[in-house]
Amino acid sequence: MASAGETMAPGGPARALPRERFWYPYLLIAPSMITLTVVSLIPFIYTVYLSFHAAKFGRVTDFIGFDNYAQLLTDTRFWNSIGVAATFVFIAVPIEFMLGLAGALVLNQNVRGRAVLIPLLFMPTMMAPIVVGLLWKIMLAGSWGFLSYNVLERFNLIEGTSVFASPDLALYALIFVDIWQWTPFMMLAFFAGLQALPLGPYRAAAVDGANPLQMFFHITLPMLTPLLVVIGLLRFIDAFKVFDTVYILTGGGPGTSTETPSILANKMTFEFWNIGEASALAVLVWLAFFAFCNVFYQIAKKRLNAF
Amino acid sequence: MTMRWCLAAAMAASTVWGAASVRADDTSFYAEAAKPYKGVTIRVLDEITPLQETLSKIVPDFEKETGIKVEWELLNHFEVINKGQADMLSGRGYYDAVMLHGFQLGPMISAGVIRPLDDLVANPKLANPNLNTSDFIQQPFKTAAFTGGKQYSFINWNYNQVYWARADLLGDPGEKAAFKAKYGYDLAPAATIEQMRDIAEFFTRKKGAMLAGKPLESDFYGIVLEGIKGGSTFPTLWENFIKNYGGDLIDAEGKPNFDTPQTVAALKMWHELWTFAPPGIAEYSLVDVPTVMGNGIAAQSIAWSDFVLGIDKKGVSPYAGKFVYGPIPVKAGTTKRYAGAEPSVTVINAASKNPEATFIFLEWLADKKQQDKLITMGEGGVPIRSSSWALPAIAGAANQSLYAAMQSTLDVAVAKPKMPKFYEIYDVMSGIAQEVGLGKITPEQGAKMGQAEMLKLCTKCLL
Repeated sequence: MASAGETMAPGGPARALPRERFWYPYLLIAPSMITLTVVSLIPFIYTVYLSFHAAKFGRVTDFIGFDNYAQLLTDTRFWNSIGVAATFVFIAVPIEFMLGLAGALVLNQNVRGRAVLIPLLFMPTMMAPIVVGLLWKIMLAGSWGFLSYNVLERFNLIEGTSVFASPDLALYALIFVDIWQWTPFMMLAFFAGLQALPLGPYRAAAVDGANPLQMFFHITLPMLTPLLVVIGLLRFIDAFKVFDTVYILTGGGPGTSTETPSILANKMTFEFWNIGEASALAVLVWLAFFAFCNVFYQIAKKRLNAF
Repeated sequence: MTMRWCLAAAMAASTVWGAASVRADDTSFYAEAAKPYKGVTIRVLDEITPLQETLSKIVPDFEKETGIKVEWELLNHFEVINKGQADMLSGRGYYDAVMLHGFQLGPMISAGVIRPLDDLVANPKLANPNLNTSDFIQQPFKTAAFTGGKQYSFINWNYNQVYWARADLLGDPGEKAAFKAKYGYDLAPAATIEQMRDIAEFFTRKKGAMLAGKPLESDFYGIVLEGIKGGSTFPTLWENFIKNYGGDLIDAEGKPNFDTPQTVAALKMWHELWTFAPPGIAEYSLVDVPTVMGNGIAAQSIAWSDFVLGIDKKGVSPYAGKFVYGPIPVKAGTTKRYAGAEPSVTVINAASKNPEATFIFLEWLADKKQQDKLITMGEGGVPIRSSSWALPAIAGAANQSLYAAMQSTLDVAVAKPKMPKFYEIYDVMSGIAQEVGLGKITPEQGAKMGQAEMLKLCTKCLL
């Protein structure tokens, strides 16, 4: 703690601590580091270890090198799950992003009743995934679902099948549910970002005669970019790992049409008890994310000034 | 006359005395056998269905009789599979005994986590000589409890499937006449799969059409079957259709044998039946099927009888008492009959620290006295003992056709073949069953794909 009369420039270089207080910062972060190590790092290292071993029915036996990885990479089912997740992410996240940004811009215009509207809009995001799953099951279940029965079947919008029973529609229904659940989160995050932007540049632009569109593209968007990038990345990672709603609504079916890597990993672990291969899947997905996030980070840092 | 009365009285007295003495012997047997284990606590995991809920009322009697405390935990179908297996495979031994469905036995035996019972059965201090295993319904018992010359369990639950139809519709004079005019034979509960198909087609009607003389307020379907990914969708297809068409998953040596003309024919019928089912069939689980029947939107089904028992009750379904049951329909002209069943058992965890006390409990559960009590208290149920068919709760039950159908299934019921990779096979086949049903792939493609996937998983699939 700085003594009376001392000042420290914000963001300035940290001054060296006296020798007897050298361990103080480490002591402060120790609880979270220990927790992270125990609940995250050790399981991860053990997962990597398992991925190189034959581990069936909970018995870890021989070291088998990259066999689990080779098995997985030649398995069409693994690639199908990656395809499902990619379709899910590349449709859901951009739509959530655009709707979220548009909604945030509208909210930022001093909309009447905003104080009531914001908590209401946030409701889908606040719901537990199990509740979201059950809610949409009630809405779209074949024959008796509220929307299925009253809208889709009544007006012959769908015939001979139901949304979640159709290999062609089930994935899009899941995407729709994800958009419904996560757009409000994007909207509110962006809205918070918009509220924090300084007014000075806008006033200057107004004096210079800039129109709203020009202000958006030349002031709002550049200043908001760091937030857009971080939120977009977080949502991308989260959407790729989607499990709960898929598990509840389709279980990965019909066939394997909605089977994401998380669903497949769960199946491999808790149904087939093939823990070695499931670990390899988890490591591969982690590696892909690690590589993607690093590349994304570098690009965002250099080109968009985001970090 | 007097002489005859005296003889009858003497016989009745001797029967009562005999029964009482057997009961006294059995009671003293369990109390005596349990003496060294008095005060021990055993943990048992079982599945929650109406049958187990009734059983949970009987379990405290065991504690009184033997002094062994039982922590009896009931979980739903999926949880009992996951939690039970996880505990057994971990080697932790939290549960001394776990209920396993027949299909779980192959993987669990191959993992070496089930304790064989042979030494316990051979131990005169622990094995009840009056257990009378010959009274167990033999085929489910023998195929579930024994593998590779070892005994792993007794028999605990004889889950079985039955044919289920709306008696009020099948008996309606107008519908009967129209059916005969269209198909050339009398409308009755289906005895063959072909008849089941005709009934399904005949009763599939749109909203506004007439059904039994009344206009329909919503669409009505000729059949409802389980179609969800997982669950018992594939066993329903496999045991009731593919096997009755002469096909199978594996041959006698355990080699994959799915791509046969018989399987293709069965898959064709499976797909055709799906076209007469509600649009959400691929979402229907084994719980949804009886619910749909109970709500009166389908004419017939193949369903698990223990769930039927929960629906065909006054106050549960408006159609209670209007149902009729029958044996699982077979392919016309076949001589050998198959029917879907899941003989299930409670096994001793290999990591159990109390195998003897647990064994005494398992014997006690399978004992005739407890089984009679279970059926009587549950006002019916699914028997594991042949003698239970004669109990008043079954022999005098209102829905006699249901018990006749159950008996017919249990006469031919077998446990699933013991395949170490059963879960992987089951998962792949369940997806194929859905895709064929929905018409996403042809029956021929389904058979080929199933064979190829099976071969990827195993070339000799049995333990």
